[in-house]
Amino acid sequence: MSSSTSSDIVVQARNLGKAYQLYAHRNDWLKQVMFGWAKTYFKPFWVLRDIDLQVQRGESIGILGRNGCGKSTLLQVICGMTLPSHGELRVTGRIAPVLALGSTFDLELSGRQNVMIGAAVLGLKRPDVLRKFDSIADFAGIGAYMDQPMKHYSMGMRTRLAFSICAHVEAEILVVDEALAVGDAAFQRKCLDWIDNFRKNGTLLFVSHSMAEVRRLCTRAIWIEEGRIREQGDPSEVIRSYHRALLVEKDDVQRFTAHG
Amino acid sequence: MPSVKVVNGKQIVVESGGPIDRVGRFIVRPFARMWQHRDLIQAILRRELNERFKGSIAGWVWAVVAPLLAIAVYTFAFTTSLQLPMADSAMGPRLGYALFIFSGIIVFNFFSEMAFRAPMLLHEYSHFIKQTIFPSDMLAVISTIRAGIYTLISICVMLIFQVIAAGSLPWTVLLLPVVFVPFAAFLIGMSWFLCAIGAFTRDAGYLMINIMPLMMFATPVFYPHTALPAPLDFWIYANALTGFVEVTRDIVLMGVLPPLKVCLWTLFVSVFTFYFGYWFFDRYRNVIVDVI
Repeated sequence: MSSSTSSDIVVQARNLGKAYQLYAHRNDWLKQVMFGWAKTYFKPFWVLRDIDLQVQRGESIGILGRNGCGKSTLLQVICGMTLPSHGELRVTGRIAPVLALGSTFDLELSGRQNVMIGAAVLGLKRPDVLRKFDSIADFAGIGAYMDQPMKHYSMGMRTRLAFSICAHVEAEILVVDEALAVGDAAFQRKCLDWIDNFRKNGTLLFVSHSMAEVRRLCTRAIWIEEGRIREQGDPSEVIRSYHRALLVEKDDVQRFTAHG
Repeated sequence: MPSVKVVNGKQIVVESGGPIDRVGRFIVRPFARMWQHRDLIQAILRRELNERFKGSIAGWVWAVVAPLLAIAVYTFAFTTSLQLPMADSAMGPRLGYALFIFSGIIVFNFFSEMAFRAPMLLHEYSHFIKQTIFPSDMLAVISTIRAGIYTLISICVMLIFQVIAAGSLPWTVLLLPVVFVPFAAFLIGMSWFLCAIGAFTRDAGYLMINIMPLMMFATPVFYPHTALPAPLDFWIYANALTGFVEVTRDIVLMGVLPPLKVCLWTLFVSVFTFYFGYWFFDRYRNVIVDVI
């Protein structure tokens, strides 16, 4: 990667780690706040450790891993929603987190109202939202449901609307967390086409359990296990070793317990 | 120019200039952020205002009916046997006292609505805070504006009532915005402080529920502070609300300029609370995301 200049690097992470604080007693956090300088009252639970990552502009990266391995936390840290506990992170450019945008929808409000709020949260100005509204509605393709309260929507319709909003925010870095899984085949194809097009000048980071999606969309795959990068590189190769590991390792409960 | 830069759990903000520059930036920052997020503030405010009367037929009529009912009840309930202040008012003792209480209640309700809501504020919006990049410090601003709009309706009812009863308004009424801007700043600062604490523990909410009825009587809502013995003066003014209640009464009901000392003290409390709240919230902002 010697040919690229430093301005082409959109995400640069060095030795990144994220620990959540686990408390044995409910009120220990208070002791931690007051006497934290003298004694530590929590057990650190490391969800991410020693992550070294460099993402170039225009790359599209698929993140693989089992549930609870730290994939979503990694995306959250990169988006800046939560701070890493140690290490260095540098992000250049406008990020749109599609991390479960659908979960911020207010089910009592109509689709239209949720578009206004969702787009504002992603940083779009009101006149821009109004201008793009028809295009958003078109892309979502949910017709007259747009003015119905969202509680009448199906899961797929919510996903459609969520993706449609994100497709219109003009981000430079798009972060997607298993958002496509619920849509029907036709909509998935529409999203994939859109992403293909987006990749011409944008950067994509996404988590998926669908190997076909990863193979089709990604220039690089990263396999995360227990908070560390276990393997990264060519998507088909990473997927192959990931699959092999899944067959061998059984689904035990031990990996969700805190250690060290 | 990186948009996010973090080293060892600390956000790196390039701070140039000396200490004076930094203090200057700190003072400007809350306002700069409000301006930067104005579209988001507007979008969420719209939703909050609609939410209050969602599913109701009369809708906004309730916002007007509530203060009207309150003022009617006070007029009848409090004017039968008490030794009344404002007995020499042009409107007669009954209406005078009703307005006296009502003006106090308006100020106090604005305060109590914020105090009740603030500890739960971040929990209400936790899905936004956890799932998206969300300026959580703007929530205190939004909820204060929302409560301010209802307060404004009450103020209008009070002014109309006064015009009907007394036939005129003193010119000092024009100073109301000058009073309510620092008051809003005080409440925003208080909300920042309370919602940061409320993110860690529910106790903040329970504390508020227990404290509010006491606060109502510790604040001169039903009586003028002059009704208390002089040695208590210090304590009654230590309650920041006293200043706001009395200044509001002076300019709306009495038509006089409030004492300079009270004004300065109240202004000082507002500015201090605003920046202390912001500093406190900012300090714990990054921890809050993980605990909420």
